[in-house]
Amino acid sequence: MSSEEVEMEGACPTDEIRIGVYVCHCGLNIAGVINVKEVVQYAQNLPNVVSAKEYIFMCSAPGQDLIREDIKKCKLNRVVIAACGPEMHEPTFRAVLEEAGLNPYVLEMVSIREGSSWVHYDNPEAATEKAKDMIRMAVARARNLEPLEKMRGEVKQQALVVGGGIAGLTSALDLAERGFEVHIVEKRPVLGGHAARMGQLNVEGRKIAGKDLVNYLVEKIKDNPNIHIYTNAEVSKVDGSIGNFTIKVKIKPRYVNDKCTLCNKCVEVCPVTAPNEYEYGISERKAIFLPFDGAYPSQYIIDPETCTFCGKCVEVCPENAINLDEKEKEITIEVGGIILATGHDPYEPPIGEYGYGLSPKVITLHQLKRLLSEDGPTKGELIIDGKRPKNIVFISCVGSLGTTPNANQYCSRMCCSASLIEALHIREKYPDAQVFFVHKDVRTYGKDESLYWKAIDNLVKFVRFEESPKVTVDKDEVKVEVKESTIQERLVIPADLVVLVTGMVPPKEIENLRSLFKVGCGGDGFLKEAHLKLNPVESLTGGIYLAGTATGPKSIAESIVAGSAAAAKAASLLSKDTIEVEPIVAVVDEDKCSGCGICVSICPYGAISLEKREDGTRVSKVDPMLCQGCGTCGAACPSAAIQQNSYKDKQIIPQILAVFER
Amino acid sequence: MSDGDGFEPTIVVFACHWCTYQAINLAGTSRMKYPPNVRVIRVMCSGRVDPQFVIEAFKNGADGVLVAGCHPGDCHYVNGNMKTMRRTVMLEKLLQDMGIEKERFRREWISAAEAKKWVEVVTEMVEQVRKLGPLKLAEKREVVMNE
Repeated sequence: MSSEEVEMEGACPTDEIRIGVYVCHCGLNIAGVINVKEVVQYAQNLPNVVSAKEYIFMCSAPGQDLIREDIKKCKLNRVVIAACGPEMHEPTFRAVLEEAGLNPYVLEMVSIREGSSWVHYDNPEAATEKAKDMIRMAVARARNLEPLEKMRGEVKQQALVVGGGIAGLTSALDLAERGFEVHIVEKRPVLGGHAARMGQLNVEGRKIAGKDLVNYLVEKIKDNPNIHIYTNAEVSKVDGSIGNFTIKVKIKPRYVNDKCTLCNKCVEVCPVTAPNEYEYGISERKAIFLPFDGAYPSQYIIDPETCTFCGKCVEVCPENAINLDEKEKEITIEVGGIILATGHDPYEPPIGEYGYGLSPKVITLHQLKRLLSEDGPTKGELIIDGKRPKNIVFISCVGSLGTTPNANQYCSRMCCSASLIEALHIREKYPDAQVFFVHKDVRTYGKDESLYWKAIDNLVKFVRFEESPKVTVDKDEVKVEVKESTIQERLVIPADLVVLVTGMVPPKEIENLRSLFKVGCGGDGFLKEAHLKLNPVESLTGGIYLAGTATGPKSIAESIVAGSAAAAKAASLLSKDTIEVEPIVAVVDEDKCSGCGICVSICPYGAISLEKREDGTRVSKVDPMLCQGCGTCGAACPSAAIQQNSYKDKQIIPQILAVFER
Repeated sequence: MSDGDGFEPTIVVFACHWCTYQAINLAGTSRMKYPPNVRVIRVMCSGRVDPQFVIEAFKNGADGVLVAGCHPGDCHYVNGNMKTMRRTVMLEKLLQDMGIEKERFRREWISAAEAKKWVEVVTEMVEQVRKLGPLKLAEKREVVMNE
C-alpha cells in the first residue's frame, strides 16, 4: 500500500503503530549492489509500515525534507532508516524526527551499507535479500520503541584533580585560570610526581631540570585562590555522577605543620633510618624528612611506618611545628567534574633480572637520574660503591617490548630519549667514561631524533640485540653479554655500572582507582580513554577525564599537553549550568520486582540500590544519572523487572523472531 | 537463502556496540568479503545478552548463534564481557544437553580494530554449521524423549 492510500483510510486510533521506512542509495554505495526498488517494495508490505521511500542521499537536505514531510503527511510515529550505521548519522536523523514533531528515540537505523552492500558486492542477490531481512528486523524492533526524554542534571562548577604530578598540576592551573575552583588531591606528601625528580630534561636541545618545571607551576598554584591542595591525601569515596559528584578525601597526618622552617634540627636527632623511596631507594632518610630537595610543601613529614614516636624531634623543634598526636582528617567536597592524573610507576625489575638487586653496580634509569641530579644524594656526581664508574652499559627496553618474561609488550615511549640524555650527560661530564647503549631499538621519536645523532657524535657506542642480553654478577665483577645483531658477534662488556632503562607500568593502586571511579582499563592495564581519536582524555564514565601517564607512557611534554586537554574538556562541562544525559538507562517495573538484589550486585556503576516499600518488601531503584546504559542488569533479572530503555526484551526478542519471518 | 541444492545456514549474531559492531563496520569500510548468512543484532554491551535471547534464536530457526564483545579487560562498561563469559559458559553446557552441537554456539572477543578476525570467525562458523546441516530441534527432542 502506498502512503496516499493509507491517508485515505482516514483517522486512525492514536495508539496505532505507523512506521516509515527510508532506504538510502548512498549514491551507488548501496544502490550499486542492492536492488533498492525491490527492497522498498518489500518494506512497504511489512506490518505497520505505512510509507516506504527511497532517495539517493537520505542525509542530504532534500533527503531530510522528504522524511520530515512524510512523517507529518503519513502521521508516522516510528521511523526506520536503512542506510549507514548509527555512528555517523543517527544524530542527523534524530534531529529530523524532532523537527517533524516526533520523539528522537523512535528512530531505528539499519546499516545496509556496512552490513550488506559493501561486504557482499560480489553477490547482489544475497545482498538484497540480506537488506530485506535487516529491514524486517529493524521494523520489528521499531514497532516497540518508546519515546524517551533526555535527563537533565545540575552541574557543580568545581573540579577534583587526582594526582599532583606535572599533568595534574597543569590541569588544575588551567581550570583555575578559567575561574573554576579546583581541589588537588595528592597521595604523596609532596607535589610534582616523578617529573620533580627527573633531573635534566631535554626541551628542544635546551636543558631544563624537572624540578624547575614543577616549581614554575607550583609558584603559580600555591597562591591561586581557586586552588585547594591536599597532600598526603587520598580519595576514599566517590558518589554521584557527571555534574554532581560528592567526594570524600582522607588526609593523613603529616605531624609537621607549616611553621616548619626546614632548620634540620629534627632530622639530626631522629634515630631512625630507612631507604628513601623518593630517591628511588638509592639513599637513606630519617623517619622525619623532606622527600627531596626543593619539594613542595616545603615542610618536613614524619613517616608513621618507620617512626618510633620517641619524641626527640618535638623537643628540639624551635618553632613548635611538630605534633605527634595529629589525627587523620576526612573532608567532603562537591564537584562537577573529575580529572584523573594518577600517573604511573617505574617498572621495578624482579631481583635477578639483568642482575638487578644482585650488585650495587646494577641500577635503574630512575636511580641514575637521581644520582646525576644536582639536588640528588651525590650532588650530581656519579659515584657507585665509592668509585666513579668508567665502563657504563645501558640496557634498553627493560620491562617493555616483551624483552623478558615479565616485560610488557608495549613501548614505554620516553625511555630511549631519557636515557640518551643521561648518556650524553655522562660523556660530557666524564669524557674518559665509555658508554655503551645496548638496545633492541632506538625510538627517539620526533624532535628527539637529534639526541640519537648527538649521542653517535659523542661516541656513545650503540649495540643492537635481537636476543635479550645476559648480565652476570660474579662477586665484584659485572659483565654484559650480548649478541650484536648487525655483525652477528657475541660481545662481552665488563661493566662498572649497568643502567637498566626501565619503562612505565600502571601504578599499584590502579585496581582501587578503577573501582572507586568506575573507569575502565585497557589490555595494558592503564586507564582507558573513551576513544583515542574521537574522545581523547575522556574516560568511559561521564564527567571523568584522564590526563598524563594515567592512560599510558608519555613524555613530560606530552603529559602537560594531556593535562591542558583534560582541563579544556572538563571546562566545557563545568561552564554549563545543567547537562543533558542520554536516556538509554535501566528502568524498573516495580510491580514485577521482587527485590532480590541481583541487579544491585552486578551493576558496574553502583547505580542500583534496594529501597523499602511501604509494605516492608524491597524494590530496586536506578539512579539514572549514574547508570551508563550497558543493560547487563536486564540480562540477569530473573523476573524481567529491570530493563534497559531502547534495549528492552520486548524490543530485542521481536528482532530475533523477525530473522525467521521470511 | 537456500539456493535449492545446498543448505545455507542462518547465523544470529549479538554484537556489542563498542567493539564487535565497530569491527563489522570496519569490515564494511574495508570492503572485506564474508558469507551473507549472518544477521546482526546490536546491543550496547555483550553483557546485555540474556541467555534467553540465544535460546529464542535457536528455537525459532537459527542454525548458529554468535555472541561477540570486547576483549576481557577492555570492556566499555568496566566488566560486562566477564558477565557474558560466565553466562555463556553455563549456556554452552545447557545447549549441548539440548542436543545442539557445540559448533553452533560461539562466544568471541572481537575488538573494534579486528575486522579481519570478524571475517575469519563468521566465515569459519558458517562453514562449520553448513557442514552440520540444519538444526532440527523438534527431531532432536523426539530422539531425546525416546531415549
